[in-house]
Amino acid sequence: MSLVESSVQFLFVALSVASVYLLVALGLSIVFGSLQFVNMAHGALYLIGAYVGLIVGFQVGFGGLIDRYGLAPLGLDLGFLAALVVTPIVVFVGGIAMERFLAKPLYDRPLLDQLLVTFGILLIFQEGFNLVFGRTGFNYARPDWASGPILIPAVGSVSRWRIYVVVLALVFLAILFAFYKYTDYGLAVRAGTEDTEMTELLGIRIGRPFLLIFAIGAAYAGLAGILGGSLFGVNAGMGFSNIIPALVIVIMGGVGSIKGTTVGALLAGFVFAAVTQVWPSMATASIYALAIVVLTIRPSGIYPTGRVGQ
Amino acid sequence: MSTETTEGSEETTDDEPASSALETWDRIKHTERFVLVSAVVFVAVFPWVFTSLPLIPNDLLAYDQLARLVLIWGIFALGFNHLLGQTGLLSFGHAMFFGGSAYATALFANNVVADPFLSVVVGVCFALVLAVVTPFILLRLHTVYFAIVTLAIAQMLYYMAREPFEGITGGINGLGVERSPLFGLVELGADIPGIFGALWGTYMYLFIAAFFVAVVVFITRVRKSPYGLIFKAVRENETRASFVGLDVWRYKFAAFVISGFIAGIAGGLLPMETYFTGVERLHWTLSGDVVMMTVLGGLGTVAGPILGVIVFLYFEGVVNGLDVIGGYWLLTLALAFTAVVWKYPDGLWGMITSVSSRLRSRRGDQ
Repeated sequence: MSLVESSVQFLFVALSVASVYLLVALGLSIVFGSLQFVNMAHGALYLIGAYVGLIVGFQVGFGGLIDRYGLAPLGLDLGFLAALVVTPIVVFVGGIAMERFLAKPLYDRPLLDQLLVTFGILLIFQEGFNLVFGRTGFNYARPDWASGPILIPAVGSVSRWRIYVVVLALVFLAILFAFYKYTDYGLAVRAGTEDTEMTELLGIRIGRPFLLIFAIGAAYAGLAGILGGSLFGVNAGMGFSNIIPALVIVIMGGVGSIKGTTVGALLAGFVFAAVTQVWPSMATASIYALAIVVLTIRPSGIYPTGRVGQ
Repeated sequence: MSTETTEGSEETTDDEPASSALETWDRIKHTERFVLVSAVVFVAVFPWVFTSLPLIPNDLLAYDQLARLVLIWGIFALGFNHLLGQTGLLSFGHAMFFGGSAYATALFANNVVADPFLSVVVGVCFALVLAVVTPFILLRLHTVYFAIVTLAIAQMLYYMAREPFEGITGGINGLGVERSPLFGLVELGADIPGIFGALWGTYMYLFIAAFFVAVVVFITRVRKSPYGLIFKAVRENETRASFVGLDVWRYKFAAFVISGFIAGIAGGLLPMETYFTGVERLHWTLSGDVVMMTVLGGLGTVAGPILGVIVFLYFEGVVNGLDVIGGYWLLTLALAFTAVVWKYPDGLWGMITSVSSRLRSRRGDQ
């Protein structure tokens, strides 16, 4: 394998890992930054996304309660593309419900309470999914157009799916960025992040833009659930095993900053991929080590936003 | 008419000794001596109540080892509570003290001397080292940052114990632990003869109970001292505490070290009890468990965390084994935990005390 080919492969492994974390971390970071709400239950949205994707796209022989009541195999079997389209919409609705019933009552509570309540909620989802769908893991059967290598002239072969993951993440990052920067709703959210009270005094109803941004973040997490599920497999523990690195990335990058979160996710992706090459067992640990180093040097993250964490 | 008045007067005369008894109760229930006595009484009767209370079906009773585990986890939860409940710092990485101490204890017992007491002391020393070093990174950080980075450090240790140091720690297979008689005299696995055996089971229970009572007394001493009040001041308002001229960093550091020290005692006792230690004792889910236990029982009190441990381990060890509902034990606990942090921050113990104070205020109204 030539140096070019292996480095391009390395690049795409790093970028695809970064993409999954980025899609989860974006929603987390914006909600944390603008609403001062730290939401571990965001991991539940990732978890829901992965399972909704499975049910929409395939027929899966689930265990647990579904099996006991004779409902397995369960699923709509609409194919992988349908899952990619439908899941973010379903989780978007789930995000709206979560904002109304979980986040809103907790906005005025201290961060510590929010962290503990949402930790409990995620635990409920994890254990609930274990009971309903069984404790085994599942896999995404990707169709031909999304699997196998792709040949790039003069470079070599790269996993086709990893390229799609990276492209998808870039597209969605661009959409969010454009929404944030160029729409009135985005402006309202940015203003609300700077000073919620002042924005409301100016006659802007800040509740609805915040709800929208929360639900968009949720939809991204749902999409990440499919992407992550297809790369690392699906099980009920995936919510926790993703939300913790995602939180680490958000805090490392600087809470509430899209730029910071992107940089954090890229750093984590590259460190993860690099350590995987030489020392696979320490790959996950390397993200934590990175965060410890970064936060020791910059206790408020790489791009501090000032208000949170002070 | 006349009967009514006599009834009324009778009531007041009846009430007098009762209310003075209540006053005496109020006076003594916050003294340290009372805490010591009740800890000893609790330790003395708890295993019997927990494992062989009459009239309770056998399925619903716990087993001997669970009683010992309750005391060990009780120590751990008290240590954790000292940080979150007293000082207001949420650590999601307390497994590092627990698991670190467990490994240090196990390695000392296997390679140097298998004496239970000495091994636990070595384990605690290791936990202390961790608790002294880590705050230099951690205490620059606030709330969520602090919680996540404690978790990150603990997870680092977990992954390190799992593979790079597999040769020492046994990796995912864990490590068997030796235990010799205490000071070469008392075999801790032996049954206590006579009625005490029926109450407490083996000498191991007494060994753990001694640590438990010592920890309760120590924690109470700290809580009641002017020094302990400063922890509370830091929890309530850090900025104000520093305006008064207190060095907040120093007190947070002290709280962290005390908390790690106590968690280390629990971590050291566990391999002595189970003859085993494994990497899962460093994993963050264990930190999550202790958060759940402490918050569920009631933060900031001595009885609360212990109640939380009893409920948690009862569900894990007993309810888990029941037919039909057994599989739902963790879901039930998660629901209860979430409800408690959301709506009832004082926890189960807070519910009990508020019911009793409501009863008393109703008495007072009449």
